[in-house]
Amino acid sequence: MIGVVPALNACEGEHSRGFTFLGAKGPGEDLFVSFHDLRLAAQRRAAHYAAAGLERGDRVALVVPEGEHFIPGFLGALWGGLIPVPLYPPVSLGKLDAFMEALVNILNIARPRVLVTTERVGKVLWSAVGRIASIEKVITTDELANDAGSLPAAADVRDDEVAFLQFTSGSTALPKGVMVTHGSLAANCHAIIREGLEADGERDNAVSWLPLYHDMGLIGFVMAPVCYRISVVFIPTMSFIKNSTLWMETIHKHRATLSFAPNFAYALVTKRARPEQIARWDLSQMRAFGCGAEPINPDTMRAFLAAMGPSGLKPQALLPCYGMAEATLAISFVPLDEPLQTDRIDAERYHADHEAAPVSNGTAFLEVVSCGRTFVGHEVTVQDDEGRILSDRRIGEICFRGPSVAAGYWENPEATKATFRGGWLRSGDLGYMIGDRVFVSGRIKDILIVNGRNYHPQGIEWLVDEIPGVRKGTSVVFTRPGAASEEIVVAAEARAGDAGALKAQIVARVSEEFQLAVSDVALVPPGTLPKTSSGKLQRRKTREQYLNGSIGRTSRAGSTRLAVAKHLALSLVGRARHEVRKLLGG
Amino acid sequence: MGERIDVVEMFKQAAFEVDNRRLPDLKPQTVITALGMDSVAIMELVAWFEEKLGVRIPDEQLSKIRTVKDLRDTIARLLPDRQFAA
Repeated sequence: MIGVVPALNACEGEHSRGFTFLGAKGPGEDLFVSFHDLRLAAQRRAAHYAAAGLERGDRVALVVPEGEHFIPGFLGALWGGLIPVPLYPPVSLGKLDAFMEALVNILNIARPRVLVTTERVGKVLWSAVGRIASIEKVITTDELANDAGSLPAAADVRDDEVAFLQFTSGSTALPKGVMVTHGSLAANCHAIIREGLEADGERDNAVSWLPLYHDMGLIGFVMAPVCYRISVVFIPTMSFIKNSTLWMETIHKHRATLSFAPNFAYALVTKRARPEQIARWDLSQMRAFGCGAEPINPDTMRAFLAAMGPSGLKPQALLPCYGMAEATLAISFVPLDEPLQTDRIDAERYHADHEAAPVSNGTAFLEVVSCGRTFVGHEVTVQDDEGRILSDRRIGEICFRGPSVAAGYWENPEATKATFRGGWLRSGDLGYMIGDRVFVSGRIKDILIVNGRNYHPQGIEWLVDEIPGVRKGTSVVFTRPGAASEEIVVAAEARAGDAGALKAQIVARVSEEFQLAVSDVALVPPGTLPKTSSGKLQRRKTREQYLNGSIGRTSRAGSTRLAVAKHLALSLVGRARHEVRKLLGG
Repeated sequence: MGERIDVVEMFKQAAFEVDNRRLPDLKPQTVITALGMDSVAIMELVAWFEEKLGVRIPDEQLSKIRTVKDLRDTIARLLPDRQFAA
């Protein structure tokens, strides 16, 4: 096991392996930076940080879209024992105000002394900088690339020291910064590369289009490869989003063996890849197509495998995995030689008895993907609300412990206490175990995960509640399984009127504000959404009713009476059927 | 020089090709993110324009584009020699 800083320090003389940045020198012209040069580049940035007066433990915020500028800036901060705070750049359409708000909120918690950005992004950010009191200086990536005089030695970082802050995506109001330590980072990088992937820089190389401010892109494809000197080709995220087949094209061209992405990316590339492209690609050398960071849809995985068949892709290359920023990154991987495995469980018993019972013929089922097993020295269990460990196939909260677990949330003891309990990281995910295999079946915290991003339903609900026609305080937002990713559903109580126009307005407002596509709006009569005794809306119950088609059918006041009536009616129908059969002699 | 570029009409075509969406009522002042497309589809749509017109919209300018007209104006700035429909 080796830490990122000592590993980078040991890269002197490593000229043949390194990072390639697609198109970084101009259209079609790639930039190769060997690990030897990456070390020098990081040292140079560290010298600039020191010259700016930054000291061990000071935070450095980075808003840098280009990998070739971001990575040296980030590693340079680690080299000097500073705490980098990577942030997503403002690149989505029409979202500048929301972006600025999130940036200001995050940085007023992280309190960086320096903000690193590019000349171009800096022009967009200037108005936010004034709202972050801690920022003393904005340094551009061009300035960081200048000659810095003598190069500093690597900081002698301790395992328990915070390496960087990973702010969890999507939560704008109260962002939480996960404290990844040098020790948790080293442990997780070792687990991913040596155990999960059995990767070796001699034979393996990786391709990634993942954003570098996100744990899977940053740890999985920058820091873990630095630790074990695995070459990586980086596709700018935006280039992938605009042309998703570039991902496969690059894997083909570079004979890559490793790549990871969330579920939605597999759906997107399956949709976009043309048969003649697939026939031309050779993906037979791919050892691991990792899939994680959002719920894995087995249909998406099967469709991807089927579509890529002509490219020679091996089915066992598909590697579902499970993890989260609070675990540094990875919690479990499917073993390399294992093809996609799913478990079909009885839907009714899952919801009613919290048990993952293997389905018998003809019953409604849920199909859950196996996310494999955890790593040596780590432990995964499923626990109930009181922290008792549950037996196989019992549904509860997935909990994780071991050296990869992060140190908590930055300056937030309350949230830390709630999530890191008794040595266990509580994932907030629902799931179950079968032997040592982890099955993730849903979210406890009602976070909505769409296209790899987290959304908190509350903000969306507040917005919907403000729309004229919606009964105030009655909107409920949740997800339903979709083809590519989870899909957003809005349920709300509304008085009879023009439902079509109101639905369209809800779709438009949510889309405008959050850039989220609402797939369905269920408008129900006043008083029909499920509430707790204290009058609080029940999101999980609403979702259940929506999925089983009973939403809005029962009013709360008359629910018992109605249930009894329904039961009677059903038994009468049953009796009638029985009589008819008898009459027919069968 | 080529013919006049009608961003609204092109947008309708792009939305159909990229996201199978018909937008007969699209206007210059339509807010793009209010059309119900997700962020990935919107970026694919931007890429469609870039490819058709041979331009590259710098990433950091995207965050300032709200309406179809904003998109038109951004493209018009990048293609000063071309004529654009109002």
